Amino acid sequence: MAEEMKKYLKQLLSKVDNLLCILITDRDGVPILKAVNEKCPELAMRPNFLTTFAMATDQSSKLGQGRNKTIICMYSSYQVIQMNKLPLILNFVATADCNTGHILSLEPLIEPLLGELRGAVIES
Amino acid sequence: MGCCWSSCKEDSSSQGGDAHERTHLLVDPVSNNTPAQRANSDDFISRYPNSVPKKTDEQSALSRILQETATNVIDVAALDSHNLEQHEYKERTKQYQQRLMQGTGQRWNLPAPTLLIDIPMPEKVLSSLPLSFTDLDLISATVQSINGALEELKVEHKEDLVVPFRIP
Repeated sequence: MAEEMKKYLKQLLSKVDNLLCILITDRDGVPILKAVNEKCPELAMRPNFLTTFAMATDQSSKLGQGRNKTIICMYSSYQVIQMNKLPLILNFVATADCNTGHILSLEPLIEPLLGELRGAVIES
Repeated sequence: MGCCWSSCKEDSSSQGGDAHERTHLLVDPVSNNTPAQRANSDDFISRYPNSVPKKTDEQSALSRILQETATNVIDVAALDSHNLEQHEYKERTKQYQQRLMQGTGQRWNLPAPTLLIDIPMPEKVLSSLPLSFTDLDLISATVQSINGALEELKVEHKEDLVVPFRIP
């Protein structure tokens, strides 16, 4: 089952040019499922980098514009897109020239996986 | 002092019925209360134990206000307060892997495939060998025969299309 999910995620990863990694983690940045390209920077997958999103999304939901759903960070060489699917976080790392809209369109394709993964997190 | 006395002193004539500048507009609620209405506070507590304000109520109200404020305040300082220990991180990763392996047996439903599919490297697909002529002939011949069969489909008319009901 986990293998099947991983395979599906890998398939999605190969769909988008220059997308380097899809990482599904819990609130604390602990990976549950991932598909990683060998070019993906190690630093972008560290838990203390990923976990800042959980805090940021909580805080930015207080700005009076509704609940925060996605945070897109553009860096000079990479872009990091993180989606609020609490208790899960959906992380995408791609190169700076990757099509951001293309990455965002993967969300509904990953959604069916999340139900199963949520179960694994809630039990803890 | 004399002035103060005169104003505080209960004027006996005010009870008489004639209105003047010292007459109370509202009748004194305390003096008019009958003794039966004046309930002892202990009786009251025993009769309505939930409605009496308690010290704990005040405490909980205060803590609620505090909590509400805490949830509404944008706390930037809290952003880097929590970090997982390395062993905790490893343990949890292992735990998740195990759980995923077990699974719930539930089949996750993939979205239906769409007609338009993204191709990561279009140059490979475009540079692949074209379809052979024999295959092309086979496809067109089959399509033609299917088309012919579809055209020969006819609806045989047996009964009246409009049936009149027996309306008296």
